[in-house]
Amino acid sequence: MTKTESAAQKTAYSLLLAVLPVFAVLFSLCIGRYVVSVSDVFRCLVSRFNEGIEVNRMSYITIWNVRLPRIILAFLAGSALSCAGLLFQSLFRNPLATPDTLGVAGGSSFGAVLSILLGLSMIPMQLLSFGAGCLAVAMTILAAKGKDQSMNTIVLSGIIMGSLFSALVSLVKFTADQEQQLPSITYWLMGSLQSATYSSLVIGLIPILVSTIILILLRWRLNLLLLSEDESCSSGVNMPRLRMIAILCATMLTASSISMCGQVGWVGLIVPHMCRLLFGNDHRKLLPACISFGGAFLIIVDTLARSITASEIPISILTAIIGAPFFLFLIRKKGGWSL
Amino acid sequence: MKLEIKNASYSYRNGRPLYEDVSFSVESGEMISILGPNGAGKTTLLRAAMGLLKWTKGESFLDGEPIADMSPSKLWSKIAYVPQSIGKGGSYTVLQSVLLGLTNQIGLFSVPKEKDILFAEETLGKLNILHLRDRKCNEISGGELQMVMIARSLVSRAGIMILDEPESNLDFKNQMIVLDTLTRLCNDGIGILFNTHYPEHALRRSSKSILIDNGSVLFGPTPSIITEKNIESAFGVKAYIGQFETDQNMIANVIPVGLAEKADKEEKADSEDEDVLATLSIICRKFSESGRINALLHEYNDILFGRMGMPHRKRDLYLISINLDGNRERIRMLEHQLSMIPDVSCKITYAKEDVL
Repeated sequence: MTKTESAAQKTAYSLLLAVLPVFAVLFSLCIGRYVVSVSDVFRCLVSRFNEGIEVNRMSYITIWNVRLPRIILAFLAGSALSCAGLLFQSLFRNPLATPDTLGVAGGSSFGAVLSILLGLSMIPMQLLSFGAGCLAVAMTILAAKGKDQSMNTIVLSGIIMGSLFSALVSLVKFTADQEQQLPSITYWLMGSLQSATYSSLVIGLIPILVSTIILILLRWRLNLLLLSEDESCSSGVNMPRLRMIAILCATMLTASSISMCGQVGWVGLIVPHMCRLLFGNDHRKLLPACISFGGAFLIIVDTLARSITASEIPISILTAIIGAPFFLFLIRKKGGWSL
Repeated sequence: MKLEIKNASYSYRNGRPLYEDVSFSVESGEMISILGPNGAGKTTLLRAAMGLLKWTKGESFLDGEPIADMSPSKLWSKIAYVPQSIGKGGSYTVLQSVLLGLTNQIGLFSVPKEKDILFAEETLGKLNILHLRDRKCNEISGGELQMVMIARSLVSRAGIMILDEPESNLDFKNQMIVLDTLTRLCNDGIGILFNTHYPEHALRRSSKSILIDNGSVLFGPTPSIITEKNIESAFGVKAYIGQFETDQNMIANVIPVGLAEKADKEEKADSEDEDVLATLSIICRKFSESGRINALLHEYNDILFGRMGMPHRKRDLYLISINLDGNRERIRMLEHQLSMIPDVSCKITYAKEDVL
């Protein structure tokens, strides 16, 4: 009896995960300053491969050159940040862990801000930002390496590196030219998906794709992360190595999403929580759920960010405004902090 | 399978020795308890024995192979560890939690298959907790959680199971369920090593015991380790070991009466050495166990001078009556070993002293 029930649940789960992003994408393609109808959206999408279909030139450019790259970026960043948040929460067995816990965000921001100061173009900026994020985490791990390498030490040294890099960001801001560089630095720090282009997407896509594939392959073993030290090491799995792989993947995910669109807060905290609430703590279900929900969530929030007011609202402001009350609702409903 | 610790020592990081020259072993089908006061290093002894901590000197061997040289995945396919269960298991469901015990057996990139789930369910059924299958580990009782932890270590198919205070913090009934389960597993051929705070549990359940007494680690047959003298020395408590008679068995009991006084420490005359005359009656509730009893009796041929065995086929019973003449400690040892066999009732009647 329970078997058939769980089969039905499984189908519902897969369906939900597949349908949600599709709807989010469609919604986002239609809505905006320039509204395109659903049928026009389909015509525009198909016309690229079939010359025969007549389409409105304006709609075509809006969809293919403006909205689609932005949607892909939102999906990538949303799912990457959600997976990274999920991993860090499991790694530290702490529901408050975010993609930023080990100082990735601080490092990546510093890299990006420095590029703005040096006047670098998009692609080098993205690479520098990604590299600086990874460097920050490497420094965190090296700093924590010692006699007693517990997860607490790593978290503490992550906090230290995070504040070190945010000090460096402040230093860059301080030296930046106030007329042009400072506003663009401030704007970048608040996060925006405006700059999405296909070439920048390709660069960011590679680390995200690689880490996601690794994580999905390891989906069952990731469950061991939530167990206590004693329980997990007697499972026979090399836990220090598994943890390192998890940290590495989470870092690549976060660094490459920040390098593409700046710091987008809250996604990495809310989406994994929402998924845990809906699907339990099994990473076999959580990972696909975080990819789908996280992607869809950021697509929708970004669509709102660019459509609500005449000028675009920085996305972090919106994620916080939506996220904070939602998060409050979650903890009140769940009534606890345990994972 | 045999886990053997040879001449091992353990010191704290600051160099202070915790214990020196520790030797003991656990074999398939043996149940061994570790006793010692708080802070004596019971958990440390377990952790060092299975390689989670490094011995300062000496080594642990599994079937003759030093465990320090074994890969984790090989080691943990043979040894299972059940840590103290409070707050363990996370918020996984019972089934998921038990399946995690199988991780070592499934491929790196693989997930549990249908047959693994069936095996986990079968194990849950064997421990009578299949009804908990979909409950969350943090929402079940302490006794239930302990059984889940045992189930998780069982699915790893390890031959040696090491448990840290499995019956602590449990009520009478749950203690009984856990201990009965361990006894059953032990009779199925699993070697069990566990920490306990209860000398009675050692006396009633384990053939051999380990007592940590001020840095020295005593190891031997339970009746020779759990003695009034050793309890007083290790715990600083004056206690009497008595026997409580039920309709079926004599049950060993330890009654603490007070803190030991320093002056009391002088050697008491040992009454264990004298020879006594006794008769021992045994009722074995499964005829199939009679072979085991006969093998055991054979070891005590030197004090045995008359025996009568009688199968009662109609009820599938086996009744034995034995006459014994020998030193009291050996007779007690025989009785203890018999009482370790499940489904056996046995009682001794000692002759009055002037008979000799």
